[in-house]
Amino acid sequence: MDKNKKIIELKNISKSYDGNKVLDDIHLYIYGNEFLTLLGPSGCGKTTTLRIIGGFETPDTGDVMFLGDRINDVPAHKRNVNTVFQRYALFPHLNVFDNVAFPLREKKVPRGEIEEKVTEMLRLVKLTGFEKRNVTRLSGGQQQRVAIARALVSHPQVLLLDEPLGALDLKLRKDMQQELKNIQKATGITFVFVTHDQEEALSMSDTIVVMSEGRIQQIGTPTDIYNEPKNAFVADFIGESNIVDGIMREDFRVTFSGHTFECVDKGFGKNEAVDVVVRPEDVDIVPREKGMLQGTVTSVTFMGVHYEIIVDINGFKWMIQTTDYCAEGSEIGLFIEPDAIHIMKKSEYSGMFGDYSSFSMELDELSDAESEEDE
Amino acid sequence: MKMKPAAKIYTALVFLFLFAPILILLVFSFNSAKSLSVFSEFSLHWYKELFRDAETLRALENTLILAVCASIISTVMGTAAAVGINRLRKRYLKAALDTVTNIPMMNPDIITGISLMLMFVFVGQLFGLATSLSFWTMLIAHITFCLPYVILQVLPKLQQMDPSLPEAAMDLGCTPVRAFFRVEIPEILPGVITGMLMAFTLSLDDFVISYFTQGNGFQTLPIRIYNMTKKTVTPKMYALATIIFFAILALLLMTNIVDEDDSRRIREARAAKRSKKQARKPRRAQDPNARGMKIVAGLMGAVVLLIAVIAIAGSHPPPRVLNVYNWGEYISDGADDTLDTIKAFEEWYEETYGQPVKVNYDTYASNEDMYAKLKSGAVSYDVVVPSDYMIARMLEEDMLLPLNFENIPNYEYIDESFRGLYYDPDDLYSVPYTYGIVGIIYDANQVDPADVGSWDLMWNEKYAGNILQFNNPRDAFGTAMYRANADVNTSDHAVWDAALSDLVAQHGLVKSYVMDEIYNMMESGEAAISAYYAGDYFIMLDAESENVDLQFYYPEPTNFFVDAMCIPKGCQDQELAEIFINYMLSEEPAVANAEYIYYASPNRIVYENEDYIEELGEDAMEILYPDIGDFSELYNKYAYRSLPQEMLDYMNELWETLKIN
Repeated sequence: MDKNKKIIELKNISKSYDGNKVLDDIHLYIYGNEFLTLLGPSGCGKTTTLRIIGGFETPDTGDVMFLGDRINDVPAHKRNVNTVFQRYALFPHLNVFDNVAFPLREKKVPRGEIEEKVTEMLRLVKLTGFEKRNVTRLSGGQQQRVAIARALVSHPQVLLLDEPLGALDLKLRKDMQQELKNIQKATGITFVFVTHDQEEALSMSDTIVVMSEGRIQQIGTPTDIYNEPKNAFVADFIGESNIVDGIMREDFRVTFSGHTFECVDKGFGKNEAVDVVVRPEDVDIVPREKGMLQGTVTSVTFMGVHYEIIVDINGFKWMIQTTDYCAEGSEIGLFIEPDAIHIMKKSEYSGMFGDYSSFSMELDELSDAESEEDE
Repeated sequence: MKMKPAAKIYTALVFLFLFAPILILLVFSFNSAKSLSVFSEFSLHWYKELFRDAETLRALENTLILAVCASIISTVMGTAAAVGINRLRKRYLKAALDTVTNIPMMNPDIITGISLMLMFVFVGQLFGLATSLSFWTMLIAHITFCLPYVILQVLPKLQQMDPSLPEAAMDLGCTPVRAFFRVEIPEILPGVITGMLMAFTLSLDDFVISYFTQGNGFQTLPIRIYNMTKKTVTPKMYALATIIFFAILALLLMTNIVDEDDSRRIREARAAKRSKKQARKPRRAQDPNARGMKIVAGLMGAVVLLIAVIAIAGSHPPPRVLNVYNWGEYISDGADDTLDTIKAFEEWYEETYGQPVKVNYDTYASNEDMYAKLKSGAVSYDVVVPSDYMIARMLEEDMLLPLNFENIPNYEYIDESFRGLYYDPDDLYSVPYTYGIVGIIYDANQVDPADVGSWDLMWNEKYAGNILQFNNPRDAFGTAMYRANADVNTSDHAVWDAALSDLVAQHGLVKSYVMDEIYNMMESGEAAISAYYAGDYFIMLDAESENVDLQFYYPEPTNFFVDAMCIPKGCQDQELAEIFINYMLSEEPAVANAEYIYYASPNRIVYENEDYIEELGEDAMEILYPDIGDFSELYNKYAYRSLPQEMLDYMNELWETLKIN
């Protein structure tokens, strides 16, 4: 499939349930052979977008285009798009082989060919020898592979994956991420992947679409999204960020936290109020007197590879990731390189994120768990 | 788990309580004798009898046809309904529908039955149908009460199912309909099967709703058994009940196997989820759905067969139809090599008239049942056999048609002394079928012959604690009033008061007040004295225990009854009804019926028939046909008549006083 060919186009898509707007004017292109991820917190509309592409929902307004044809009214079973469901949706009354053979049998593919294709698929997902197993007696990871094999066996042009790794434990999830990526490369099929896990998105995708409240916040490669977030929401959602109010004095000079820094951004108005993003790993700790900013360490958490330190600078709590240990209560100085500073225009999300004063790891995990449950 | 002794005993008691009745039934179905008190020896006699009883087998067949049709249709409809309810998005609507479908389940059967009957009658009359009840109304009724149970079984299965399963099927190329059959149906199949089996058993043993919605000529087994209670329920019913019990048990076991497979699958799925990293060792197990499918296939096959049978039976040209409504066990039915009267009539008719006739023969257990059924207007019958007082009442309410005696030439065999009876003084509406006289039955091994002869025996203090009295006011007061030589139909309160004080005086002597229990208590010698009809005496005589010697005599005066054949208004074919009545008076059927029923016949060619006299024996003939002179004179003087409501109320009031004492 041509890398530059648009397979799917979403134009002006909006959708409401009982008066609640779930999708608000979505525009999106999906190219051939692309691994595209819809990323966002629960309720952001990513699953609905996927279901609209799959044909399980119809948009209230807008067009869904498939290779240039409008497919709004084409039912799911006639779309050349397959889905891997969140809970796999394997057919419990069929064994592994019959599950994978299901779409081929629906298409009346000859017997021998079915055998050949299913065997090939099971080899691809490393389930050779499991043909006769009852699917309910497989582990979560194995069920996952069966679901992928079943969705791929009829060679759809697009594979939709709805949080497929959500139910797996961490180690298995990492393995599967790699494997999914390999499968995508091996088959050359376009993957549209839905997740709320930003790490997953960053490590697997060619393109990430960050969504919030039914709108697309930013589309870009993982590095673009991480290094050049468009607004406070994206900056906060992708990785950890300290987001502070700043004023752009002139090109390459920005003032925040009472200090004027050199930076690499330009093109803002003189003295324009902006959001400044500094990633926690980009801050160096130096003796107090040598620092551009000074603060007090309020908490230290050992994370294995690094320490996570919360520093109080004039009442604003910064997060810093460092390999150097600092005792709680000690006074330190902070040093920030110009290219570690990213300037964003003010947006509706300004002031909502980026302060670690109420930060708690437990809370973070809790909210992660919650978003896994719903959708 | 170890159980404490007290818990063990308690558990044993619970099981005993639950299963003792069935155990007794089972044991006595193998009893060679008729008695319920003595087990004489093991025998399959009643099982053989059962399979010779054409009418019971027909009722069984009806019951099965109905149950199979009702369970299949309600399963299809219930499954569709459950799918619909499950797809509703609005929660409150879902909850509301759920509740509404459950109401018929909570509703008492009697209310469901009556309301269905009313609806059928209403609709029937709207379309001007003579009979609104039929097989089809009964089927609709059964579907109605089975439906909620099916929904109740299927809905949870749908709710357990991952809602993305059908979506996955569509995603993989199935149309929505195909997705339903290929993915959803196999998922909910255990629920569907359980629902179907439940519907089947419910339909099989339903009595109340069937009773109200039953149409002409389609009698189910529970109704047939109930209607046998005019006489005693014969032990072949124990045999039948035993067979049904084991059949249902087998069905239940099958259901449990299906369910067990299902729950094991769910358990294993959960276990697999818990141990994500490692797949469990594969276990060879038969695909649970394969078994479920087999059961469904079996049931389907049975239905197809049945429908084929019905279709073949129904493909004959529709013959002339006669609907007969008679007491249970009140006709010779072919059991024990007797004459199958109905079949004989059908054959005789076809021979004589060269065209087929179909007799729908239904039975009832009491005059009041019959009356209520006719009065409801839901059914129409061509011939009914009410008792005397009921004929009087029906005439008063203009429910009977005058007979055309030109079609009933055999009426001449009815003895002159049975003409001009009070309920039909001009002999226009009825032809007597049987009659009976109340006498006193006593155990000669306990009662001194010097004491017998009159009603006084029931008040004889020598036999205190061995006397049985009727457990209904009319008959009980009757014994006292005949004893005092009073008019049993009087409206004079003083006479009734006097009878009450006699009954109160007798109270201390009475062992118990009984109705049907009388047979067993007399047969076994538990009681020594009771009043009952001569015909019933012979039944007891048949089953008396070794140390019992039952004897019989008529006290004077005493009560008489006559049951007579009549044609009710609404009759569809009066000529055919009259031909039937005439046939019933002819020699062969009349003798066969008299021998079968054991009540006296008013038909001269019966009681003068040599075979009949020989069959009964001289002693029995003397008892059944006592020399009492002109029957009609005694009858009109002494027999019970319908009491006015005011007197009935007064009598019941007095009866309460007695029972309180």
